[in-house]
Amino acid sequence: MEAKAVSQEEDHTGSPAIEIKDLTLAFEGRVLIEGFSLLVSSGERVVLKGPSGAGKTSLLRSILGFTVPAKGYIAVRGQQIRPETIWDLRTQIGYVPQEPEPGNGTVEEWLERPFTYKANRSLRSNLERIPELFRHFLLPMELLEKEVQVLSGGEKQRMAIVSAILLNRPIMLLDEPTSALDDLSKRRLIEFLASQEDLTALVVSHDPDLRALAHRVVTLN
Amino acid sequence: MGAVDIEITRLALYYSLLIIPLGAMLWLGVPMVRKTLLSVARMTLQLAFVGLYLQVVFELDRPWINTLWLLVMVAVADLSVIRGVKLRLNRFALPLFCALVMGTALPLLFFVGPLLNRPTLLEAQYVIPIGGMILGNCLRADIIGIRNFYESLRKGEKAYLLALAQGARIREAVLPYLRDACEAALMPTVATMATIGLVSLPGMMTGVILGGTSPSAAIKYQIGIMIAIFTGTAITVLLAIALTIRTAFTPYGVLDLDSFRK
Repeated sequence: MEAKAVSQEEDHTGSPAIEIKDLTLAFEGRVLIEGFSLLVSSGERVVLKGPSGAGKTSLLRSILGFTVPAKGYIAVRGQQIRPETIWDLRTQIGYVPQEPEPGNGTVEEWLERPFTYKANRSLRSNLERIPELFRHFLLPMELLEKEVQVLSGGEKQRMAIVSAILLNRPIMLLDEPTSALDDLSKRRLIEFLASQEDLTALVVSHDPDLRALAHRVVTLN
Repeated sequence: MGAVDIEITRLALYYSLLIIPLGAMLWLGVPMVRKTLLSVARMTLQLAFVGLYLQVVFELDRPWINTLWLLVMVAVADLSVIRGVKLRLNRFALPLFCALVMGTALPLLFFVGPLLNRPTLLEAQYVIPIGGMILGNCLRADIIGIRNFYESLRKGEKAYLLALAQGARIREAVLPYLRDACEAALMPTVATMATIGLVSLPGMMTGVILGGTSPSAAIKYQIGIMIAIFTGTAITVLLAIALTIRTAFTPYGVLDLDSFRK
């Protein structure tokens, strides 16, 4: 498989946030990505697109250490992903999966849960941003009391976005973050991403509006 | 006064009672006749063998033989868990064995020592039947707990991975699954304790009464054994999960599917 940069609309020469070199990913004996390289600079917004099955989600998973490459090198903020570094590196990354699976409990518990982890305890005051983020993403505050299992797909996706934002990571990996959003919610997400100049975002998406926001679009063939 | 011994001919005649359920199965077409006959045959052979063996163990009453007997029972229980939950033998045999040993030994030694106040902890008359009862319950709870834990992790993998992505360590990310597994494993014993004596006379109490002890003394044994079972099952399940986590996950914290048999 070959990956190529389709457009380069803006020059970003900051320090590398994500560095992928000669990556090969395979799943159940099938090669998904072969010889793929990508450098995402700090503060850069990169959209990844490509046909389904091209390995876009697997690429995001490999940056999180969930899929181990058959070959190649991945580094986040200059540190190579290895068993001994991955735990700290994950605390640099916010992740919004395509179909968030929130487990059990209420929305409030879902949002609070990451702050019970030792790595995030010092960030607990970020939960004070919930009212502001709920307003921005058009979510009623009453939703906090709702069981996560009864949320609609769009609500789950917005909650996953809010949850990732609350963790205030310098890098965000978003997997089809607008797939279940209505136009207005999508615009709010785009506005939010556009307003975060220091945020590095690697977004898997086919959405032309998101692509317009990107500094660069990379196609996985 | 001990329990009346049963003559072998009378026991053989007692098997005829099985005609009722087997006849009902045949009449209704329940496809379990062959399986039932096989199970009855196995039960007879296994118990005959155990009876003979235990007779020797009880007569010798050597601490090392009693310990060995318990360890053999734990090893058989260990294999039953691995087979029941479809785990890889080479990865899980040792941690599950250790969990079962701890879950059985601790309440057993407290039962024979501080509770019964026996001069030796490894007396065959006490450690083998009581150890067997505790172990049997630990085995059942272990199968429920381990199966529940790993199956819910596999089904809820997305939520687990999201927790890792949010910065959780393995022990933090598995906590919801651990809670559910403990609840599922311990609930039968909790329910039994809540209704014991009301809907059934428990086996231990019945055995002690048949052995000639007064019901008021028998209930003390039963209370002791229920506490031992509950403690033992809790220790076994928690330790089994804690010890297998080391082998069931990749160094990146992802559940290693190679840990399970297809």
